[in-house]
Amino acid sequence: MSAPRTRLLALGDGRPTIEVLEAGDGPPLLFLHGAGGVPAWVGALPLLAEHFRVIAPLLPGFGQSTGLEFLEDQLDLVLHQFDVLEALELQRPYVVGESMGGWIAAEMAALRPRDIGRLALLAPIGLWRDEHPVADIFGMTTPEMVPLLFHDLQSPAAQEMLSLGALLSDKDDRSEAQIETLIGMARGMRTVAKFLFPLPETGLERRLWRIHAPTLLLWGAEDRLVAPIYGELFREKIRGARLSVVPAAAHLLALEQPAAVARAVTEFR
Amino acid sequence: MKISWFHLMPYRWLPADFRERYHSVWVDVPNQLYDPVRGHELYNEYLDMLEYADEVGFDAIGVNEHHQNAYGMMPSPNLMAAALARRAQHAMLLVLGNSIALYNPPVRVAEEMAMLDVISGGRLIAGFPVGTSMDINYCYGQNPVTVRDKYREGNDLIIKAWTATEPFPFNGKYTKLRYVNIWPRPIQQPHPPVWVPGLGSIETWDWCVDHGYNYSYLSFSGYKRAQKMMDGYWERRSARGVEANPYSAAFFQQVCISDTDAACEREWWPHVDYFFNKCLHLYPGMSEAPGYRSEASLRAGVVAQVGNTTGNMGMNKSWKELVEQRYIVAGSPATVRQQLEELARALRTGHLLLGLHIGSAPRELTQRSTYLCASDVLPHLRPIWNEYEDHWWPKALPAARRVQPRRTDASQANDERRTTNDAPRAGARP
Repeated sequence: MSAPRTRLLALGDGRPTIEVLEAGDGPPLLFLHGAGGVPAWVGALPLLAEHFRVIAPLLPGFGQSTGLEFLEDQLDLVLHQFDVLEALELQRPYVVGESMGGWIAAEMAALRPRDIGRLALLAPIGLWRDEHPVADIFGMTTPEMVPLLFHDLQSPAAQEMLSLGALLSDKDDRSEAQIETLIGMARGMRTVAKFLFPLPETGLERRLWRIHAPTLLLWGAEDRLVAPIYGELFREKIRGARLSVVPAAAHLLALEQPAAVARAVTEFR
Repeated sequence: MKISWFHLMPYRWLPADFRERYHSVWVDVPNQLYDPVRGHELYNEYLDMLEYADEVGFDAIGVNEHHQNAYGMMPSPNLMAAALARRAQHAMLLVLGNSIALYNPPVRVAEEMAMLDVISGGRLIAGFPVGTSMDINYCYGQNPVTVRDKYREGNDLIIKAWTATEPFPFNGKYTKLRYVNIWPRPIQQPHPPVWVPGLGSIETWDWCVDHGYNYSYLSFSGYKRAQKMMDGYWERRSARGVEANPYSAAFFQQVCISDTDAACEREWWPHVDYFFNKCLHLYPGMSEAPGYRSEASLRAGVVAQVGNTTGNMGMNKSWKELVEQRYIVAGSPATVRQQLEELARALRTGHLLLGLHIGSAPRELTQRSTYLCASDVLPHLRPIWNEYEDHWWPKALPAARRVQPRRTDASQANDERRTTNDAPRAGARP
C-alpha cells in the first residue's frame, strides 16, 4: 500500500488552511476522520483506495491543518466541510465518516440534502440516550479508552495506542519527536472538544429526517464507546438506511476489520 | 506585608479506604459520602475558625470556589463571605473568588460582589479565577476551548457594570444585554481590587499585568516548588516594564504551628496525612479537559520549562519529606517565622495566604495554631516590604463609619429571660 499524496488547501482569507490526503483512482470518496485524525494510512483506507479516489481532508488542528479559530460553532464547522468539498470540486460525492466524522457527514447531508450523493457512517456519534451514555472521551485515561475502541487488545493498533498513552508522564524523559506527537494529539483533541464538549449531542436527531442520501450504517458489534443500540436509532431515523453490524470489532471498526468495512462500503449502492 | 487566613473547608469524614474505593476526591466523588448533619456542624465550625482569625488580627479572611469536591465545600464562596461579613468586623473579605465564566449573565457576579462590598463597608477583595478544569469543564460543562475568551468578556462586563453610572447595552459574544445597570454598586471606587488566582499559565501573568490585577499563585506544593513559577511572573512583569511591587503577588502556603517542632508532628501529622493522601486523591483522566490550556502553556508544561507542579502534589510523602521540602511550613513559632520570612523574600510576595486549617484538623488544634501565628509570627512578618505601597488592598470605609450589627430587642429580651428563668423562647417577631 503506497502512502497517500498530501497537499495543503488554502480556503481563503479568514478561513482555515487544510491538509488533504488523497490516494487511488475511480469515483471520488470523501473520507471524514474521527477524533484521532488520520495518523497513518492504514485499515480500510488503502483498501478503499483500490476502488475509489479517496480524499481525506483533515480538520483544523489535525496534521498540518490550521485555522480552528475561524470555526466558532457547529454551523461553521459543517459549512467549512462544504467549502472543502467545493474547493475540491466534488459534486454529490460519496461521503464516508467515522465516529465524529460520521456525525459531521450526517449533519452535512441534513443541511444540504441534495449535495451529498451517498453516505456511509461508521459508528457515528451525535445521538444520546440516558440509558446508554456515550463514553466520555474527554474524561478518561488512554489505558481506559483503548478497551472501548478495540475488540482485540493484542492487535498492533491497540498496542500502539497504549504506547502513546504511556508517553504521558510527569518525568522529562521524552524525545522531541515524542513531545511533538503528544502536542499533536492534544491539538486534535482541542478541535474535538470545541464542538463536542461536554457530551456529543447537538441536536442531530431532530435533523436526521432531512437526509435524502442512501445511507449505510456500520457498527462494531463490540463497540463500548458508542453502543450498537445507536446504530438501530440512526437506522430508524434516516429514511431507508441500512445497518450492518460488524463482528469482532469495537469502535474503531475500520482499523479492526478493514476488509469487511471496505467491502461493505464499496458494495453499498 | 499582609497575611490572610484562608480556608478550603474540606470534608472531615472520608473513609479510611477512600483511595482504594473511590475514583477521585473531585467531580464524581459520590455525594452519599456526605452527611449533611455533619456538614451542618462543619460549616459552623469552619465559619467560627474564620471569625476567630478576624478576632486575633489577621488582615483578611479568605474563601474560594470549588464544585463537587470533598476538600473544598464552597460551591458558593459568596454565601460564606456573606455569612462572615457581619460578625467578622475587622478583616478584609478575600473571595478568591468567583469563576466568572460560569455565571450567566456575569452581571450576577458584579451584583453579588457589590452586595458583599456594601454589606461589609468596602472590605471586599474580588477574586476572578478562570477556575480549574475540574470545576469549570467537568463539573460546570463550560467548553474548555472557548472558556478563556468567555472569561475575558465576563471580566470586561463586570468591570464596566461596577464603574458605569448609567445603564448601558453590552453586545458580547457570550452575553448580550440591552440594559446593564446594577443595583447596588460597590462602595470601593472605581471598584474592589481584583486578584486572579492562577496555576502558572503565561497568559494569566500577562492578563494580570495588563489589567493591574494581583496574581495569586495557589499551590499545595509549597514555596520551594513555586520558585521557578514566581520567578517567571516577575520576569514577565519586568519584561513588560511594570514595577516589581511585591503586593502585586500573593502566595498560598499551608502552615501548622505547635509549641515545639516535635509537638507539631505529633499533633498535626494525622490531619496533614488526611489532606495530602485523601484530599489530593485526583483522577488523572480528568485533570485537564482538551483545550483548557493554550498550546504555548501546554508546551511549557510538557517540557517543564516553568516547573511542572501538577505531578507532584505531595501524595505518599512522610511528614519529614513534606516539611523538609516545604510542602507545608510546620513547627514551633520560631521555625515557622523563619521559613515564612524566607518564603516572602524568595518569592517576593507581599501577600501571604495561610492555610492554617489542614485536612481533618479539629477546632482546638486549628485555633491554637492560629493563635500562635497571630501572636508570635505575624508581628515579625508585617514589616517586610513596608517600602512598597499596596495598591491591591481594599479601600474600606474607616472603622468608625462602618455600621456594627445591632441585636434586635427580641433577642436581647430572650437572653434576659434565659438568664432569669427557663421561659420559652419569644417569637422572632414582636
